[in-house]
Amino acid sequence: MRTFARHIAMLVTTVGGCIGAVMAAAQQPIVLQWQTANLTESQYEPVWKATIAEFEAANPGIKVEPVLVARKDHWTKFVAAAQAKKAPCIVSVDLATAAYNGYLLPLDKYWQAEPAEFRRAWNPDLLSASKWQGQLYGLPIWGGIYAEIYNRDMVAKAGLDERKPPKTWDEYLAWAKKLTAGDHWATTVLGGKTDTTTRVLLMWIWSNGGEAFNADMTEATFAKNPKSLEAIKFYLGLSTKQNVAAPAPTTTNYLEQTNLYAQEKIASMRNAYWAIAKVDGDNPAIKGKSFVAPGPANIDNAPTLAVVTASSIASSCPNPDAAWKFIRFDAGKKWAVQRAKVANWMPMRNDLADEPEIKADPLLLQFVRIGQNARSYPLPSPIWAEIAANDIVDAVQRALLAPDKTDEIFRDLDARLTKKLRGV
Amino acid sequence: MAASPEQPAHATAGRGTRRGATPWTRRRRVGYAFVAPVFLFLCAVVVFPLLHAFWTSLHRVRGLASTFVGAQNYVRVLTDDAFWHSLAVSLEFTGTCVALHMTIGLGLALLLDQLRFARTALRIAFLTPWMVAPAIGATIWLWMLEPQFGVVNYLLQAAGVIAAPLAWLGVPSLAFASVVAVDVWRGTPFVMLLMLAGLQTIPREQYEAAAIDGASAGQRFRYVTLPNLRYLLVVASTLDVINTIRHYDTIGVMTAGGPAGATEVLPVLLFNTAFRGNRFGEAAAIGVLLMLIVLVFAIFHIRFTRADLENAR
Repeated sequence: MRTFARHIAMLVTTVGGCIGAVMAAAQQPIVLQWQTANLTESQYEPVWKATIAEFEAANPGIKVEPVLVARKDHWTKFVAAAQAKKAPCIVSVDLATAAYNGYLLPLDKYWQAEPAEFRRAWNPDLLSASKWQGQLYGLPIWGGIYAEIYNRDMVAKAGLDERKPPKTWDEYLAWAKKLTAGDHWATTVLGGKTDTTTRVLLMWIWSNGGEAFNADMTEATFAKNPKSLEAIKFYLGLSTKQNVAAPAPTTTNYLEQTNLYAQEKIASMRNAYWAIAKVDGDNPAIKGKSFVAPGPANIDNAPTLAVVTASSIASSCPNPDAAWKFIRFDAGKKWAVQRAKVANWMPMRNDLADEPEIKADPLLLQFVRIGQNARSYPLPSPIWAEIAANDIVDAVQRALLAPDKTDEIFRDLDARLTKKLRGV
Repeated sequence: MAASPEQPAHATAGRGTRRGATPWTRRRRVGYAFVAPVFLFLCAVVVFPLLHAFWTSLHRVRGLASTFVGAQNYVRVLTDDAFWHSLAVSLEFTGTCVALHMTIGLGLALLLDQLRFARTALRIAFLTPWMVAPAIGATIWLWMLEPQFGVVNYLLQAAGVIAAPLAWLGVPSLAFASVVAVDVWRGTPFVMLLMLAGLQTIPREQYEAAAIDGASAGQRFRYVTLPNLRYLLVVASTLDVINTIRHYDTIGVMTAGGPAGATEVLPVLLFNTAFRGNRFGEAAAIGVLLMLIVLVFAIFHIRFTRADLENAR
């Protein structure tokens, strides 16, 4: 009898302990890690801190933990964590590559459950850039529309009229020659080893009616398409032939380009709205000196490039419902306007044009206008991250170092990329 | 059955049976028990990752899914020009760096050994680059070598050595020279430290005897210093080859392998294949091949040090 009583007591203790542990665990808040490439950028810090604070206040059971990673380590860290099935729940990454590798969760179920009014705020073209094989893997949150940004003082000093920015390549070259003198240059040619090099190259190709790839991304046409090759030669020639671009293009990237612009070493840069916040922060004396125009083109209605950054949920996330809750919150109108005003990131919602804060900013409005004819980036290929940051940049560097071999270099690139694209 | 000269006769009797366990076998078991934690730790941090890397190299890894492909990744890597190009760059980089580490390291050690003042301060000063984390050192150099705003171009222009700023990391030959220079700055102190320790063990009497015999400074270096440092020179250069050939940080930070692949050593190719190309199977195959190259030097190192120890006995 005593043994039986002892067993009962042990059972009660064990069950009680388990219930206690489960209850304690249930009271623990859900912790969502959030990793994007730009949480470490000072211009965005006040916005994301306020977003988290307000979200946590509205959702006491959920905590959001930002993962601060330098931009260039962002993808590496995400892949390493994803391989270990410990990726942060909410991420903004190269969508096609990540989805192809199984690192992301399809979001269609959450998207379809949203009210129609919310869904209408994203146009279908933009959403298609966040899809892979028909499934939605991210909600476009913010982006960057690329345009030509000029330094007003340098333009005036060169005797040029800012009201008549160059529209064609010839006009641009004429401007560039006047803007280059002594130790300052008209622009930079980007050839550093990141995909920013590829972004700008693509825009120049599109501005001549060329294409870098065929429609279904199974063939590269950098050299095969004569318009593309002509554009590549003109653009790289700004450095190798015309000498209107700052030296050392093979090491020049976003960081170097914005430094040169902030220090008034270059009079113009092909960049997105966020670059203005960066250069104004680097050199407050330059604030208000920038004006924006569409990139010069040889065809009518040439598209520019819009980098789309979407928020996704990692496939290993144990709390996808809570993660979607945060993504939805972060995609709200209030935060879209804040990101645009404070961090200079273009909103991706299409219902903000009439917001007074957006309307009051002429630079932002100009970017929005230029962005009405934009093609979304990254291009939809699961190997885009590699070809954009390695193969294409490598070809650009080789062509900058040996301009006479440009045709041959880009023919080789076409062959290599076509082989890779077809091998996917 | 004869007992081995290293074991007591009773040690060979009844080995392996609990009932007949002798003090010798009991001592061995205790020894194994003491060694076991370290052995398990090494298995976890060295053996398992190595086996896992080898296993990965036999698979085509697509994100979280993988398929067994046998030696296909090795065939792909070995038939890819990029691998052979990287191997050539790696060997050139390692050869140049190790030669410079050894020459400058020995030179500095000889200088410090001769000094009678400020010896400690100089020793610390020379060791400083070695104490700086390689990635941080590389970032500092990256900014110093920046063409427009970098201090190196500024100083060279101010001194009239160059007329216009140089693109240190933008031209293949200059980029290669720059990463070699930064690696020499980082790696020389280690060699210097080893050589200095070696120099201080050479009996002064040998130099005195050589001087009495009329040996010049050069002859004393050749016939006294070098033979005494022979062991350390081989050990230091082998370790340095192993360290340099697998070194990633400096080049990864400064050039990421560019421009146009001029500085793409094997570890950078491996990183780019894994994290830019998302081809972990191929990257693991490159890693295994790199390990085999390192292994050749490691075996040489072990054999040399063992032979030297046996000679000393």
